[in-house]
Amino acid sequence: MRSKKSLFLNALLVLVVMFAFTAQAYAGGKVYKIGMSLAITGPTSDAGNPYSKGTEDYFKFVNDTKILGNDTIDCTIRDDQYKTDVTKRNFEEYLEDGIVMYLNYSTGSTLGLKRDFDEEKIAVLPASYHAGNLDGSNYIFLPIASYSDQLVILAEYVAKNNKSGKAKVALFVHPSAFGRGPVADVEKAVAAGLNIELVEVVEHGKNLDNTAMLKRLMSKGVQYVISQTIQSPVATMIKDAQRLQLSASSFGEAGKFTFLGAHYTGGNDLIALAGKAAENYFWTTGFNITSVKGAGTEAQLALAKKYGRDQKAADSHNYAAGIMVAQVVTEVIKRAKAADLDVNRANLYKMLNQMNGGNAYKPYSTSGPVSYSKTDRAGVDLLQIYSVQNGVFKKVGEPMQSEYMQKIK
Amino acid sequence: MSANTWLATGNFFTTYKQEQRTFLTSLDRTFFTFFLVILFGWPLIFELGNKNMLVIDNILIAIVAVMGLNLVTGFAGLISIGHAAFVGIGAYTLASFSRTLGDSHVLITHFWPVMIILSGVMGAVFGAIVGLPALRLKHLYLAIATLSFQMIFEWTIQFFTFFNQGQTIYIGRVAWLTGQVGRKDHYLFWYFIILTIVVLLGFGIRNIMKTRYGRSLVAVRDNDRAADAMGMNPGLTKVYAFALAGFFAGVAGALHAYVYRGVGFESFTLHESIGYLAMAIVGGLGTLNGSFWGPVAIKFLDLQVESLAEISGQYLPSGMNIATALKPLTFGLVIVLFLMFEPRGIANWWRITKSYTKLWPFRY
Amino acid sequence: MSYFFQIVVSGIVVGSIYALAALGMVLIYKSSKVLNIAHGQIIAAGAFITYFLTVTVGVPIFFSFIASMIITFFLAMSVERIFLRRLIGEPIISVIMVTIGLGSILDGLIYLTPFGSENFSFPVFLPQEPLSLGGVSISWTQLVGVIITFVLIGGFSYFFKKSTVGISMRAVSDDQFGSMSVGISVPKVFGLAWATAGLSAAAAGCIIGNITGLNFDTLHAFGIVVFPVIILGGLDSILGAVVAGIIMGLIQQFAAGYLDGNFGLKGTGDVMPYVILLIILWFKPHGLFGIHEIERV
Repeated sequence: MRSKKSLFLNALLVLVVMFAFTAQAYAGGKVYKIGMSLAITGPTSDAGNPYSKGTEDYFKFVNDTKILGNDTIDCTIRDDQYKTDVTKRNFEEYLEDGIVMYLNYSTGSTLGLKRDFDEEKIAVLPASYHAGNLDGSNYIFLPIASYSDQLVILAEYVAKNNKSGKAKVALFVHPSAFGRGPVADVEKAVAAGLNIELVEVVEHGKNLDNTAMLKRLMSKGVQYVISQTIQSPVATMIKDAQRLQLSASSFGEAGKFTFLGAHYTGGNDLIALAGKAAENYFWTTGFNITSVKGAGTEAQLALAKKYGRDQKAADSHNYAAGIMVAQVVTEVIKRAKAADLDVNRANLYKMLNQMNGGNAYKPYSTSGPVSYSKTDRAGVDLLQIYSVQNGVFKKVGEPMQSEYMQKIK
Repeated sequence: MSANTWLATGNFFTTYKQEQRTFLTSLDRTFFTFFLVILFGWPLIFELGNKNMLVIDNILIAIVAVMGLNLVTGFAGLISIGHAAFVGIGAYTLASFSRTLGDSHVLITHFWPVMIILSGVMGAVFGAIVGLPALRLKHLYLAIATLSFQMIFEWTIQFFTFFNQGQTIYIGRVAWLTGQVGRKDHYLFWYFIILTIVVLLGFGIRNIMKTRYGRSLVAVRDNDRAADAMGMNPGLTKVYAFALAGFFAGVAGALHAYVYRGVGFESFTLHESIGYLAMAIVGGLGTLNGSFWGPVAIKFLDLQVESLAEISGQYLPSGMNIATALKPLTFGLVIVLFLMFEPRGIANWWRITKSYTKLWPFRY
Repeated sequence: MSYFFQIVVSGIVVGSIYALAALGMVLIYKSSKVLNIAHGQIIAAGAFITYFLTVTVGVPIFFSFIASMIITFFLAMSVERIFLRRLIGEPIISVIMVTIGLGSILDGLIYLTPFGSENFSFPVFLPQEPLSLGGVSISWTQLVGVIITFVLIGGFSYFFKKSTVGISMRAVSDDQFGSMSVGISVPKVFGLAWATAGLSAAAAGCIIGNITGLNFDTLHAFGIVVFPVIILGGLDSILGAVVAGIIMGLIQQFAAGYLDGNFGLKGTGDVMPYVILLIILWFKPHGLFGIHEIERV
């Protein structure tokens, strides 16, 4: 098997070169190891790819600009192709490498490895904002408020801004735990007095034509469709609505649908997929986006430019999300160092838990401060609502926190 | 019975019984015993980390599953594009117990050998059910039946709350004579267990292929009409092949659930089914040792490509795409190249090596 | 009542797109008895090539649509030439596995481009207003999709019925040895079958890509989504693919329109095809129009 042998030799050669490099580069200062496993190929790679770039670039930036002094962060990023088995293997390897914090990705693998995180007592920041991640775990920290928070905030926004009577709402969710998870929380919020009527929960498939569904919802008087899924099905749906002339031209237009959605339904990807049909789509997330200029987004674009990313990656909210987790990691390491603590798992965990009140951290990538405590393990509680105006997402109001989520907790 | 010392120079069997022996010569037996001792002994001497043990466990589980797939696809010649779903049946059998009894119920933690066998049996039952169309269907249609089973399995798991809609269902830590198996020894412990199971099942296949039940599979594969004429029932034989494969898959599923301490649907998708098929083909269809080579080769290749991709990713500017594309690319190339140039798989190389060394240095 | 008709129309529209996506698989199966698992990737590739030509190169979309069909035509032909020609006469399982490997290789190649993990959509080139007829609406995209589907399917049917090459393709599917003995080049026919399949896949990819937007996951999944269609149609019948496609489209739309939301059911549109598939396999395994091989022992 000659090809394999030469492959192996090549790998060996590169390995030697790499060792030579790393030995030079990391001379002096301590090296803190971080591990990250996410889907760069395979399902959801459209999100995972820019996410990984964000994290990679920010850690490079930290090392290049000596944010931690002479100390450096060595973050290994691996593709797990959205497979929990591979994630677990990566995680076990990172543990052996002696990582101090771990960055994870999918809902499935976060839940699958939850117990390992607790046993290893290692703080984890996943890219999945599934509320179920927090159940029975002390070491998982959501970067921003959960999908449940996001859906409830959107529902609250609907309740507040609906003009006539009780708003009739349908949920459009992914046929998996990721999609169904927040549904129960929305129902609870409604039971707790949120002034909307939840007419139907629709699970989508690979449907090429949502006419039947949209007409049915229309006949039931639904005016608002809140989505918790990925971009592609939402794009198909809003295109169909536009074709049927059922999409509202302004929020809450009578007899039309206003579409809203949680973190993974929106962003530039949605506009890329749906084109003009995305107009007037309401989206909530905890990150700043580059179409709303600000100091944060400038920094994000500068970072992307510095490391030669293309415009599409630079503008992606997933790129911002990737930066954000890297920022949080850097910040806790910085704080641990400032407090003269050893940078190890236990101390970083402690630092994360102290990140609240006056200690809350304000990274440039998020719409609000990141705060964690023993009881609150969702980072950015203030979510920003955006809507598409003239082909770009624009801010709607100020960042806010969900009222009903606190009531139903 | 004393071993036939002249076997190396030719076929000197005088009875069928002699031919059916597991070890043909005492040298064979010595070698094999020695090999087993090494397999069981090395982890006690060289301590590998958890990650490597996990990789090895994973390979061994794949070996169990591929042995089953090899029975149905290699020996019986029926394509199964839903093998991961059968593995999933095994895992979800265990998960169902975990859901109803709690994840650390004594049945799960202490009676795990029973659970593993039970999962195998469930796999066999579902195998037989999916194989039932074999009574009427042939060739491709049967393959498609397995494919639709795969699809329905995925949908079912993701739909019902009983299966936690595909989210992880936890399985507690098992107990051994020395008490609960902790995190540190977990993968090592399961290495020994799975290795034992692999050896047992390997002997199982080897022996079954010497009986009418094994030979009927091959007969039906090679010519089902002739097999029918010889008094076998091709339809039922196929159902039986699926059941047998289902048993192996179910056992693999239960092992997977125990090793990963949880069951989530991602490990049992169509993609995994294709992976198992690839392993069986690269290893060598219709051979027992192919079931060992295949998983080892594919998983090893996977790891190699991964580290290569990682290294190239570090040194190529924004080269993430190039690096990550390597994985599906090499996986596909390996399958295609094997099928084009070595359809008999690695097992064939093994055969060649063996026959070469057998008479070395006195070839004739 | 208009609700009912709307669902019927949507069903037919969706169904004919399914038929087009299934057509390529049927063509390959018809001539070489191979199930092409990599079909979804070819569909995606067709859509991406069209996008690339239209947006990056700047060719008008109509021409790039044609050009992408031509490119996939030769792409699929060369795939057949390089990978599959050697396997003529090998067991079917090897050939199916080769298509699986091929799918993986195409995955890898597509991941090399930005298309693997980014989202795009075709520029708007058709009127955005829907056509409305008595409360039943259909978009231009869908209408054009249906027309292209029927033109292509009609063309292929005619081609198979009348042209010499088409007839020789049918002959090969019937009996390879027989057709060889009357001077038909079997490898050539296989190559042509793959090429035409590639062509139809590109067309399907463009139409689906126009409806869903260009996302690799979504597009290549259609290789699997159409399985129930080709089984129902009987694997080797073009007419079967059309009828089955439309039946499946209708079933899906009616399930989504009448079952979902009632009786506590959700997402039935997606699983109904597979349930029906299993039932078909039990009771009418050779599909609606498939050839029932009679074997006597």
